[in-house]
Amino acid sequence: MQTGYVLLATIAVPLLTALALTAVPSRYPNAVRVIAVAVGFVLFGLSLYAFFAYQVADGEQFQFQLRWDWIENVGVLGDHGITLHLGIDGIGAPMVLLTGIVAFAGTLISWKIDYRNKDFFILFMVLVSGVFGVFTSLDLFFWFFFYELAVLPMYLLIGVWGSSSVFPTFARTKEYGALKLTMYLVAGSVLIFIGIFAVFVEAGIGTFDLLALYQVQFDEDFQKIVFPLFLIGCGVLAGLWPFHTWSPDGHVAAPTAVSMLHAGVLMKLGAFGIIRLGMQLLPEGAEFWMPALITLGTVNVVYGAISATAQTDFKYMVGYSSVSHMGYVLMGLATMNPIGVNGAVLQMFSHGVMTALMFAMVGALYDQAHVREMSIFGGLAQRMPRFVAFFAIAGLTSIGLPGLSGFVAEFNVFVGVFRTYPALGALGILGAAITAVYILRMLALAFFGPFNERWKELTEMTRWEQAGGALLIAFILFMGVFPSPFADRIAESVLLIPGVR
Amino acid sequence: MEAVAQQIPLEHFLVLSAILFSLGVYGVLTRRNAVLILMSVELMLNAASINMVAFAAYAAPERAVVIGIVFAVFIITVAAAEVGLALAIILRVFRNRGTANVDEVDQLKW
Amino acid sequence: MGMTDAWLLPVLPAGAFAVLVLFGPYLPRRGDWLAIAAIFASFVLTFPIIADLTSALAEHGEEFVGAANSIPWLEVPGNLELRLGVHVDAITVVMLVVGSFVALMVQVYSLSYMRGDSRYGWYYAAMSLFAASMLALVLADNFLLLYFAWELVGLCSYLLIGHYSHLRSAAEAAKKAFITTRLGDVGLLIAIILLWRDTGTFGIQEVIAAAQAGEIRTEVLTASVVLLLLGAMGKSAQFPFHVWLPDAMEGPTPVSALIHAATMVVAGVYLVARTLPLFELVAGGPELVLAIGLFTAFLSAFLGLVMTDIKRVIAYSTINSLGLMFVALGVGAPAAAMLYLFTHAFFKALLFLGAGSVIHATERQDVNQLGGLWSKMPLTGVTFAVGAFSMAGLPFLAGFWAKDEILVGALENRVAFSFLLLSLPVTAMYMTRLFILTFLGQAREPEVAKHAHDAPLAMSVPLALLALLTLVTGLVVFDQVGRALGFPGGIGELIFLGEPEVFHFDTGVAAASSELVALGIIAGWFAWAVRPELPQRAAQAFRPIHAMLVNKYYLDDFYQAIIDRVVLAGSRVLAWFDRNVVNDTGVDGSALTTGFMGYLLKFQQTGKLPNYALAMVIGVVALALVAFTLKT
Repeated sequence: MQTGYVLLATIAVPLLTALALTAVPSRYPNAVRVIAVAVGFVLFGLSLYAFFAYQVADGEQFQFQLRWDWIENVGVLGDHGITLHLGIDGIGAPMVLLTGIVAFAGTLISWKIDYRNKDFFILFMVLVSGVFGVFTSLDLFFWFFFYELAVLPMYLLIGVWGSSSVFPTFARTKEYGALKLTMYLVAGSVLIFIGIFAVFVEAGIGTFDLLALYQVQFDEDFQKIVFPLFLIGCGVLAGLWPFHTWSPDGHVAAPTAVSMLHAGVLMKLGAFGIIRLGMQLLPEGAEFWMPALITLGTVNVVYGAISATAQTDFKYMVGYSSVSHMGYVLMGLATMNPIGVNGAVLQMFSHGVMTALMFAMVGALYDQAHVREMSIFGGLAQRMPRFVAFFAIAGLTSIGLPGLSGFVAEFNVFVGVFRTYPALGALGILGAAITAVYILRMLALAFFGPFNERWKELTEMTRWEQAGGALLIAFILFMGVFPSPFADRIAESVLLIPGVR
Repeated sequence: MEAVAQQIPLEHFLVLSAILFSLGVYGVLTRRNAVLILMSVELMLNAASINMVAFAAYAAPERAVVIGIVFAVFIITVAAAEVGLALAIILRVFRNRGTANVDEVDQLKW
Repeated sequence: MGMTDAWLLPVLPAGAFAVLVLFGPYLPRRGDWLAIAAIFASFVLTFPIIADLTSALAEHGEEFVGAANSIPWLEVPGNLELRLGVHVDAITVVMLVVGSFVALMVQVYSLSYMRGDSRYGWYYAAMSLFAASMLALVLADNFLLLYFAWELVGLCSYLLIGHYSHLRSAAEAAKKAFITTRLGDVGLLIAIILLWRDTGTFGIQEVIAAAQAGEIRTEVLTASVVLLLLGAMGKSAQFPFHVWLPDAMEGPTPVSALIHAATMVVAGVYLVARTLPLFELVAGGPELVLAIGLFTAFLSAFLGLVMTDIKRVIAYSTINSLGLMFVALGVGAPAAAMLYLFTHAFFKALLFLGAGSVIHATERQDVNQLGGLWSKMPLTGVTFAVGAFSMAGLPFLAGFWAKDEILVGALENRVAFSFLLLSLPVTAMYMTRLFILTFLGQAREPEVAKHAHDAPLAMSVPLALLALLTLVTGLVVFDQVGRALGFPGGIGELIFLGEPEVFHFDTGVAAASSELVALGIIAGWFAWAVRPELPQRAAQAFRPIHAMLVNKYYLDDFYQAIIDRVVLAGSRVLAWFDRNVVNDTGVDGSALTTGFMGYLLKFQQTGKLPNYALAMVIGVVALALVAFTLKT
């Protein structure tokens, strides 16, 4: 049974939870934890249901539709001017699932937060609600509304619960990380905002409803002018080079669960925006600008990978590796052929789960050791075998090892890119080889070799961390071994994007 | 109403209000005493009111009569409230700093 | 159980892997029995497949190209279809038998060798995963599955080389092996996609057919072949990628026997053999393979003479052998390459397991600390001798027949042939040296030798079985033997249908090669057993050459320098650029500029009412003027 109330629930449940949590006295931190994890589980269940109940070859591009008019026939707004219009296609479905997984894992990992955990979970839930909203909204107004809702709690989450770091040659405070991240994302959303109004005015049909706007044939010059607004506005959030520097610094400052959600889900909002607003709305503009995007995407891949190789801090390394992996998403989108775009969406899911796992593991170590410098560890495999196994699985996924989700996604991206731009495809594959260098270097340096006695106090991950990690690994393996449930949904919708052929 | 419109052309009202307004501006710019500045502001408001009423009288009666006068009434009301508020502020400033000279009250900046 | 059910072979060990990983700690004996049972089942199941294959061959004759069976895996309708499938033909069967049998032997051997290891259960899990991936690699009917399994065997190699993860050297060796082979894999992946681009399929047979029909552009085909070869070179440790294999000896010895001698390292040879038709379509393709193989074989032969670690000597002999296989492929004798692969798997696994037995008994692996073990470990000594002299190419052992086939194949090519002949005595010499230093003469550490003992049952049975096979497998070159075993037309015809007469024993070549081998063995005997001071004198007389050999031609140092000075330094420069130029200048810079503008502008905020009033008036007047001019 398909009903839009499932999607509405994914938005409303976390919002209401945030509201309800305000009523829980903060002297009961365990009650807050139980509620948060329970809600995380519910969200995970809802998203799982939405994903599997989505019907392939149903004939409907958008399923689970729900439409509530909010403002209409006032001023410039015509029929269905602003509506709460929800629905997912084959691209939204895996993203909803991704959000559910990462949100649930995030609540599990955040069990150990002690400082004002009620406030933390309130903001966390608002953020999650916003993310679900973006992935399910089919109305530009609400799309943007949820987009902002997802971005802004980040500032407080990093600024209050984050950590400042001092490195040999420079220092990064959490306020700096939070401020830069927020400023960057808000700057991006300004561009999106302009683009949305440009589209609304140009269309002249008095509605923000995406499905109606998809029917409008925009003038080609208009498309060429407006598409870069969406591309850069959303691209900032997707870590597009050279607008990527908020990402490593933001991650270094952010608390674990926020890094997970941020790299795991929030960066995908950007790529999702490029598809929903850019490619689906302005196909000719997309076609015009895609050569630029694929160049930048390739730069992302190689530049991010090489930068990651030089890092000695776990979080910086993972942060740059996110930049590199989001480059594959951008490359895939820029191919404008079904294989590449399919690969890009697969990579969005794969990278989301993988990077969430990686950040969870970095956090698990940092919370005990209070340092993140790789070279001062050593031989942790003897002390924390499960931790190392989890971390290694995340690392191998990012290398693109077959049998794990990264391979499926990157293989599609490579094939797609090769179809259109073989030389850049070769560079992309080379980027994957560089990934192997920094991941394996990190594993050998920090986890293998003789055990450093300084760390004999360290113990294995907590049960909650293990549960969260196992959940993420389950999906990494699921997609790596059995990708067709994902690919079928995605490919079907990708083929419906105008301009993709 | 009809009578006034026949006897005096609209331009006279406009010139009057312009003169009043200019006087007000001149007062605001040159006076240093807060109370005098306030009075100049009132002049400007009144100039606007005259404009409103004049246009109300000269426009087609069935459409604009009420709106212009309503505006004038609003302006008077707002001006009264404003005077009350502003005088209270000026009073407090005078009590605190012993002056009502605006040149000496310049703390509200960076 | 027919050929199309061959997918069961990799699935059984894969299942064992899953069970061991999830429930290993709860199983009795950590589940080693499950791993062995799975690989045993796979081994047994190869026989019905062989029977099915021979009957199919008898039925269809030369038209039979193999049986395939596949399932869809991922699809983008109308654009891309990825399938997982198996393809069984004669080459596959050879590899299946080798892979599953050696894996079985090694796992049985490990029961004793790895006992007491702190990660015993994990070891068996990884071994099962390796067996599964290796069988999948062999069975793959398309490049995608091949690459899939190719990477997984690389992963298992990584995990098992680094099994003793508390050793820094093991961690580094594992990393080195993975990254080096990964560089080659970049080429392989690009080649696969390039071939797909022109043919629209990943199927190996389909791609070859398309290439033969001329559907692939010449330059694309050339590029793909070179890149494919790059992948094969990485996996099969060909120069200049060979550096990882000697270091890989950091892993447990049974791992070296299985992965780094018998199965995984020959995957490159298998890949080239499988795609040889593509190489032959490219001008200079076979010659390139030949040159690389020859160079590798020749260079590695000398290194065996100076290495003192028993496993490293065997590792260089493996590189040597792999070079020979590439030579065979390059001269267009794939059957000879496959025969060598087949026999090499047995005698090289035997050598490693023998070395493992020595290491197990003495806990030493430097030959300078061994010696005099012959009387203490007779079984190990005898079987090791069989393996060593088979590698040396002593007549009537397996290696002899296979080497001879390669020599016969290379007969046409004078250069290759003479280089091969030259390398024969060197190989014989270092294998003799290894045997003498390990087993004969005086014990250099009598305490160690005194406590040495022969291997327990679980280790000696595999040794004996492999030694037996080393003695007899070479005989399959004779068609009569093949027929007697039930293969119509002999093994040669089974493996390569197109060339029923592939195996032709040439007495002239055999005589020449056996004389050279004998020469090498006698020289080795003289140098290390009769006049042991001779090698030291030689080393001193030719000190620069000796130093070059001990330092492995300085290749490792060269690579290390490249990594330190170029790769890491370059990445640090880029990271500096990102931090200081992109971030601190570009991002923080624009923020600072904005802030500075604000700082400048704030002085306009005087706090004086008349200034504000004047600004407002000027603004209003200006706006009014603008509106006025615009209107008129």
